[in-house]
Amino acid sequence: MQSAGSAAEGASTNGALTGGSILGEPSDLVRLCLDELVYVKLRGERELVGRLHGYDQHLNMVVGDAEETVMSTEVDEETFEQIVRTRKRKLPLVFVRGDTLILISPLFRQSGASR
Amino acid sequence: MFFAALFQTLVGQVVTVELKNDLCIRGTLLSVDPYLNVRLADVVVTEPEAFPALLALRHSCTVRGSCVRYVHLPPDQVDVQLLQDATRQVASAVKAARVRPVGE
Amino acid sequence: MDSMPGQHETQRPADFLRQILGRPAVVKVNNGAEYRGNLVCLDGYLNIVMEGTEEFVGGELKRRYGDVFLRGNNVIYVGPAPAK
Repeated sequence: MQSAGSAAEGASTNGALTGGSILGEPSDLVRLCLDELVYVKLRGERELVGRLHGYDQHLNMVVGDAEETVMSTEVDEETFEQIVRTRKRKLPLVFVRGDTLILISPLFRQSGASR
Repeated sequence: MFFAALFQTLVGQVVTVELKNDLCIRGTLLSVDPYLNVRLADVVVTEPEAFPALLALRHSCTVRGSCVRYVHLPPDQVDVQLLQDATRQVASAVKAARVRPVGE
Repeated sequence: MDSMPGQHETQRPADFLRQILGRPAVVKVNNGAEYRGNLVCLDGYLNIVMEGTEEFVGGELKRRYGDVFLRGNNVIYVGPAPAK
């Protein structure tokens, strides 16, 4: 729970920002992603592509038929070249804790389609 | 709260909890609380050589919710349609609760 | 409220954000990546939705997104995109 002061601050921001845009608030975009393919970037150089089946206000999520990509970069000791390794795995149905999430982007509409 | 209810329906099922330190713990879900702390029974650590101390951990354990990265769920035990509907309901309820005091 | 020195009248963060809304913006997140795109909306947590977004890591363009939701806790700063 937030203190009354900060809650009011957040609420007034919400109210003021609703005018003039198709989306009233950021979570509306996530709602539009339900049952759609999404790209999710997580902390620790992880990415998921899968179908969004559920989420809550913390951005905890359930993603189905997901493919996870984990990237790790190593520096070659001699050439100082950066080697990027990616590991992929399939996750049939997974709950993702929201605090690791950095961004989420729908894959069903391409750049510019929303305007 | 909402996902706690989902996990509640999976009590008795075998799930794999993947922690933020990459440790994977597989076990039968015993209980879950609103913080998404989970209790597991018949615990198996998938890479015991990486975490030998956890070999001592045989029967049950509690995982703090904030340490969890993923919970791998059994797909045949989750009705994703129901989950989507519930998500929409909760999302609109949350939104209604937030917007009303501002609008009026 | 304390007043700020300088020629600008006092402006609250929310006023500042309102001015950028619907305009090209740049958002930096705590893994070092920078996102440039049109700021569609945001909330009190600084959750942000942008459209036509480009992701830069170390000044290098890494990826483009149609629409993107950024979780507020990762946001370091939001500002108007500098004119090219």
